[in-house]
Amino acid sequence: MADMLDGFLALSEALTGFTGQRLRGTGQAEAYLATATGIVGEGVMRDLLLAAAEARASSGGDTEKHEAELRRLVMSDDRLGPVARNIIRMWYVGSWYQLPKPWREAHGQSPRDHDHVVSPISYTEGLLWPAIGANPAGAKPAGYGMWAMPPRIAPG
Amino acid sequence: MTTSGKDPVLTSFEAVAGQEFDVVIVGSGVSGAVIAKQLGARGCRVLVLEAGSGNDITVADYEESVQRFYGAQGKDNNSAYAKSRNAPMPRDYETRKLQPGQPNADGYLVQMGPLEIDSTYTRVLGGTTRHWEGKALRMLPDDFRMRSLFGQGRDWPLAYGDLDAHYRAAERELGVAGDVEDQQYGGLDFGPGYVLPMRKMPLSYLDRMIARDLDGMEVTLSGETFPLKVRSTPQARNGVPNPAYDEGRGYKPVGAVSTHQEDKGERCQGNTNCVPICPVQAKYDARRTLYAALETGNVQLLAWSVASRLEVDGVTGQVSQLEFKTYDDPDAPGHRVGHVRAKVFVLAANAVENARLMLASDLPGSSNLVGRNLMDHMYLLTWALMPRPAGALRGPICTAGIEDIRTGAYRRHHAAVRYSIHNDGWGWATGSPYSDLEHLVEHENRFGAPLRQGLIDRVSRQFLMDCMIEVLPDESNRVSVDPRWVDQMGNPRPVISFGATPYTLETAAFSRRLSRRIFQRLGAEDHTHYDPLAPGYVSHDGEGYVLRGGNHWAGTHIMGTSARDSVVDSTQRSWDHPNLYLAGAGSMASIGTANTTLTLAALCFRTADAILAGLGTHAPASTTTGARA
Repeated sequence: MADMLDGFLALSEALTGFTGQRLRGTGQAEAYLATATGIVGEGVMRDLLLAAAEARASSGGDTEKHEAELRRLVMSDDRLGPVARNIIRMWYVGSWYQLPKPWREAHGQSPRDHDHVVSPISYTEGLLWPAIGANPAGAKPAGYGMWAMPPRIAPG
Repeated sequence: MTTSGKDPVLTSFEAVAGQEFDVVIVGSGVSGAVIAKQLGARGCRVLVLEAGSGNDITVADYEESVQRFYGAQGKDNNSAYAKSRNAPMPRDYETRKLQPGQPNADGYLVQMGPLEIDSTYTRVLGGTTRHWEGKALRMLPDDFRMRSLFGQGRDWPLAYGDLDAHYRAAERELGVAGDVEDQQYGGLDFGPGYVLPMRKMPLSYLDRMIARDLDGMEVTLSGETFPLKVRSTPQARNGVPNPAYDEGRGYKPVGAVSTHQEDKGERCQGNTNCVPICPVQAKYDARRTLYAALETGNVQLLAWSVASRLEVDGVTGQVSQLEFKTYDDPDAPGHRVGHVRAKVFVLAANAVENARLMLASDLPGSSNLVGRNLMDHMYLLTWALMPRPAGALRGPICTAGIEDIRTGAYRRHHAAVRYSIHNDGWGWATGSPYSDLEHLVEHENRFGAPLRQGLIDRVSRQFLMDCMIEVLPDESNRVSVDPRWVDQMGNPRPVISFGATPYTLETAAFSRRLSRRIFQRLGAEDHTHYDPLAPGYVSHDGEGYVLRGGNHWAGTHIMGTSARDSVVDSTQRSWDHPNLYLAGAGSMASIGTANTTLTLAALCFRTADAILAGLGTHAPASTTTGARA
């Protein structure tokens, strides 16, 4: 699965809007790849990464084209779209959510496919909070009195 | 300290069963801990029974709760705490819409309705202060004279002034951060020169944004005009000590509770997680007081032990002994039954559990008021988006509120109310920010940079204002027991009957109207809506509202002037059983618009004084060092 990590991070960059460095910095990339692959199977994951690579390659570095290609090849695909959306959820709040019923019926069930926090640390590494200049509830506080300042909403 | 338990601060079933103490206290929450500390410091031999785990007194134990919270998919207000089938506790997600005639017995509480109430409590060491938010407002002088002033509810058998010294003791014990200058409204009087132990928590960016546009807005109620002002909320959370405290002696904050030296808990860091657990122990919880009680050497703690029955001498009315059940495994069936005797018994297990234990012991009181007059604040939530990012999800959950209409002549007609500004966004009302992420990903089909921008637009601008509405004592709102519903140990479960009266609902309607005006003044986008299928949905004058519980259970052993119309006297002593005290919010004759903890802690200081005075005739065992087991 190690050979899939770079592709997974490249896809995750496009899905989350965070840089690869920022994503790697969470320390969660391997855990999310393993969680998703363990549930949807290696075949689906490899197809997802191939489709994402194709979207990247055909857009030639143009962001708008890249997004359009991702919508065409991944987000609107019955088999790949729900998985991509779950990858977004993992990065943003650290949780896996059960795949939609039509997906499970068409592409297979997994005993691990239920709503769960990937690990206690995956919650605290959720990107939703840094995206708005905040901290996940109960972790990574900014320090006494910092809540009086405007939020620091920074790209990254 | 005993050495025979699983932990140096714990005693054991074998050491306790059949023994006699000066005082036995049921419950290790703030009520029990305050009384234990006061009595232990004066040399009384005290036993504290705790239904939950005793493994909760070190930083490592605490860290387990923090990790449990991180790993919990549903982060409800008890999600940080271990479940136990032998000492179960209510969870808010067990609440559901009731159909007439069909109680909801899915959770620990059996809900009869008509209103579903999603309040909980926590059966762990330190009690519900483990998950409380920490707001530490005093009640107003008017709140103690509801019947005399407004012709509603009941008067207390004591006045605000009678509690002033005990409020001060409670503010010291809980470590309250706040500025007295911001509490000048509604007749609140702290006495000349008084300051709270710590400076106020800095107001949040959101508070300041709201204050700028809102301060000075006028509201007229029953012909009386109130100018509104955003004011800092006093709270039991470590901040910057006020050097002027205690006539210039200052205040030293109490940090993390641990059997070992720990450098934690010194000051709030803005984790935005006061409920269910402050990860750095900057928030007060009753383990601090309990630990100080244990350190007197006169107080013993027996955990994993559920009080199950009070036995009363039929002639004198005195409580002769307490039956308890000790378990080894939190979930597996099986327990040992023991008894303890004492000169004085104190029930300090919260308003629901105190009443449940009395009723399970066939002690409804000569007034038949045990379990009745159940009160809790009703919360109406209103929510909007500020015109620009306001820094939601940062800081303590609330740092400021609108207090100016906490009392007034309007209380003849409808309930008192105060408002809190929430720094934690819309979470309480909508499940935000998870629901927002879901909306953006699943419905708006966003990903990448547009998703990030969507979160800024939709989450950082969130402003939730809670409307905390008074509920009057009403005998039909009650806790009862019923042999049909028992827990695994065979102890009866609390059966809750609760409804909202027009007195409360009228203020819900008023508050919704006021929230519209406030949002109009702020230029905020109103997103408030109430789902008719949600638990707590009520109609009033053709409009629908959702009422949420405040976890401020009160009134079930109501205080009064005689055995005919009340359960306890002004010291929380039972009228019927002279050596029994029922301590906590259950004694309160009104709840006004203050979170109950500060007031019930003050009452418990008063109770400790009364117990000491009573035991004085029996010479408290001041030479006892407590190494009993």
